[in-house]
Amino acid sequence: MILLQSPSRFILQVLLNRVQNIDKGVELDCHSVEFDDVRYHIQVIISFVMCALRLKSKKIGFCRPGMKFLCHVEVLFVLFHNHLFYTLCQYPQFMQLSMSLPTPPPETVFYGGLPFGAIEAIKATYGLIAQILDPPKDGYNLTMKLNLAKLPEDEEEEHALLVKVASLREVVLGAPLRVVLKHLASKTISPGIDELVALVHRPKESFFLLPEVDKVTIVFPMRFNDSTDTVLATSFLQEFVEARRTAGLNNAPPCFWSYSPPPELEGVPTQALSANAGFVTFVIYPRHVEGRKLDRTVWSLSTFHAYVSYHVKCSEGFMHTRMRRRVESLIQALDRAKPDSEGSNKTALSRSFKRLSVKDLRSSSNS
Amino acid sequence: MDAAASRPAVVIDNGTGFTKMGFAGNVEPCFIIPTVVAVNDSFVNQSRSSSSKSSNWLAQHSAGVMADLDFFIGEEALIRSRSSGTYNLSYPIHHGQVENWDTMERFWQQCIFNYLRCDPEDHYFLLTESPLTAPENREYTGEIMFETFNVPGLYLAVQPVLALAAGYTTSKCEMTGVVVDVGDGATHVVPVADGYVIGSSIKSIPLSGKDVTLFVQQLMRERGEHVPPEDSLEVARKVKEMYCYTSSDIVKEYNKHDREPSKYIKHWRGIKPKTGATYSCDIGYERFLGPEIFFNPEIYSDDFTTPLPSVIDKCIQSAPIDTRRALYKNVVLSGGSTMFKDFNRRLQRDLKKIVDARILASDARLGGEGKTQPVEVNVVSHPIQRFAVWFGGSVLASTPEFYAACHTKAEYEEYGASICRTNPVFKGMY
Ligand SMILES: Nc1ncnc2c1ncn2[C@@H]1O[C@H](COP(=O)(O)OP(=O)(O)O)[C@@H](O)[C@H]1O
Ligand SMILES: [Mg+2]
Repeated sequence: MILLQSPSRFILQVLLNRVQNIDKGVELDCHSVEFDDVRYHIQVIISFVMCALRLKSKKIGFCRPGMKFLCHVEVLFVLFHNHLFYTLCQYPQFMQLSMSLPTPPPETVFYGGLPFGAIEAIKATYGLIAQILDPPKDGYNLTMKLNLAKLPEDEEEEHALLVKVASLREVVLGAPLRVVLKHLASKTISPGIDELVALVHRPKESFFLLPEVDKVTIVFPMRFNDSTDTVLATSFLQEFVEARRTAGLNNAPPCFWSYSPPPELEGVPTQALSANAGFVTFVIYPRHVEGRKLDRTVWSLSTFHAYVSYHVKCSEGFMHTRMRRRVESLIQALDRAKPDSEGSNKTALSRSFKRLSVKDLRSSSNS
Repeated sequence: MDAAASRPAVVIDNGTGFTKMGFAGNVEPCFIIPTVVAVNDSFVNQSRSSSSKSSNWLAQHSAGVMADLDFFIGEEALIRSRSSGTYNLSYPIHHGQVENWDTMERFWQQCIFNYLRCDPEDHYFLLTESPLTAPENREYTGEIMFETFNVPGLYLAVQPVLALAAGYTTSKCEMTGVVVDVGDGATHVVPVADGYVIGSSIKSIPLSGKDVTLFVQQLMRERGEHVPPEDSLEVARKVKEMYCYTSSDIVKEYNKHDREPSKYIKHWRGIKPKTGATYSCDIGYERFLGPEIFFNPEIYSDDFTTPLPSVIDKCIQSAPIDTRRALYKNVVLSGGSTMFKDFNRRLQRDLKKIVDARILASDARLGGEGKTQPVEVNVVSHPIQRFAVWFGGSVLASTPEFYAACHTKAEYEEYGASICRTNPVFKGMY
């Protein structure tokens, strides 16, 4: 995996599972937390409804428990009284999906608890199957009621829509970025947008957009908690900027890295500008957001920090692998050098790389 | 309390065959995937062979980096290795012990970043280990979790203790009992008293889910069922999971099958992976013979012939005398291979037989001087048995005591990986 996928594996799995077993009507209540403190809560509550049906006496035989009618409504039992059949029916096809977003820093504005343009984006993407509940579930920014009975009949379309539901993060958090980039594609500036826009991407952290008619400049202040991570990320970013200069990537958006805030961020409050791994700037041109490229660009930009952080972890894992190999080969050398009696049985104890100090390494490589 | 403690902890149960992972507080793991990594060995060999010359450092380095990114885990790994020759499968865990730390680290990396998609710095982690794990391995796990992933806190729990905790919520019982964990690659019988494992009495059995699969495969092959050889292990596993059950008596069961074949013989339909043609085969006696290897191991293996109920009995008999009655009363099942229908009933009956016979013998020896009180034998089965270990972890990790019992990153930095050697148990909870 080099890039993160936009749909959440977990939500997609739950949805597919539900759709396949829609008649089983099992209740469900589960939660999950993604990177940058995006949380989901999925709930399926089975509701029962009494319906009264008037059927001609001839049809008595057709109304039995287990029988299905009106798509996915299942008759649980039947009562007969005064030529009316009372039936208890089950509606298992509603699912509630709630999402909470990272807490925005003071410079970022939310509208009704959601980023700019999110409501429109949700309506445009999900259409009839999703209904936004107001107010959302306690502790969440958004709650949608999904009507799985309204999914398209066609299997491929159905799957595509479920993938979109699983990509809720991109739809909501990426909404403002999408609005700005869409205007860039048509070479206009969206009305009602300030000169410099701050968009939340991590808890209490924002990145900045400077929209212009023919380009959008995007600046990420990069912050890491761990000191090793900071060092690795800094050198990773420098390499990253360097790699952009190689011949094959001429069409990619230009990018820059600097230790201090770039001039675009003038006037931004200082607490938003403390970044221990410097600032990365991308310049996006209309050609980067044409047609189908838009989705990919929005997703890549809104998860840029996660991308760097993942690569830092990969590098650490890679270094550990090499350190382990090195320690193992040094220990083998030590074992060979030792008189037989005390050798071999100690190896398992000292294989851990932390336990060999630099001095040990040096003395063993001399031996 | 720090921000990470306000988020649910991540619970990962790495089994020999399957890894269960998810968030504390949920009833089910988010994912259950095979514990396997498909690595692209072409890069690794390349970098190895050139390392002796130590020339061309950069090429070597970037080859290593590519190899580091080019791998898959779980079902995806199996699919990749089937469709392309460049990937080799590596199973990092053998018989419950991590053998290959490089692939294990990568496996965790994918679990965290690609499956759960969480930032490891944001969550406390609960990982599980087999009861026989050496303290060195625990240090290794700690090192990887704290150094590579920067987790804020880590708890390494012993699998059977978690399985016992899982039962705790479904039926009211204390943290004393014998856990019979039959997984894919290892079977352990572990007595636990008040949440502490009685280490000296742990018994392991070289028979587990994998052996049932192999036995089913062997029986089908010997009967001449036409299953394509490259598919036969997979088919055997599915047949096992879908159709096998525990009989109460093999002879009677054979008779039943012979009298009413239409009722007992099942059919399997598959598609040949190479030609795409369909095939079908019958499933007969293996339905009850598969699980029978736990009760009559001699039908499968010549080396190991002690039935599971006797092993459990021996295990309890070797535990301190004052715990034995409580242990017989709470025999808890855990692991996928205890899912066979009526497995618990058969186990309870056979174990009870052994216990009753012993009491009878001792009464006879004493010759009528007061009777020994009957011993209550109880084999507990619950619906979440398949991932009982994970569920127990989910329950424990959602209590406030969990965060206090964790090893923290600060402790790790002060004292080093050795803090992971000891395993604090949840004191005051039970
Ligand atoms: N319904 C079932 N009936 C019988 N065996 C099953 C069932 N489900 C899973 N298994 C078997 O259980 C084993 C996996 O159990 P698990 O406890 O996950 O093992 P581990 O923890 O050692 O990885 C596999 O061999 C699998 O085939
Ligand atoms: Mg297990």
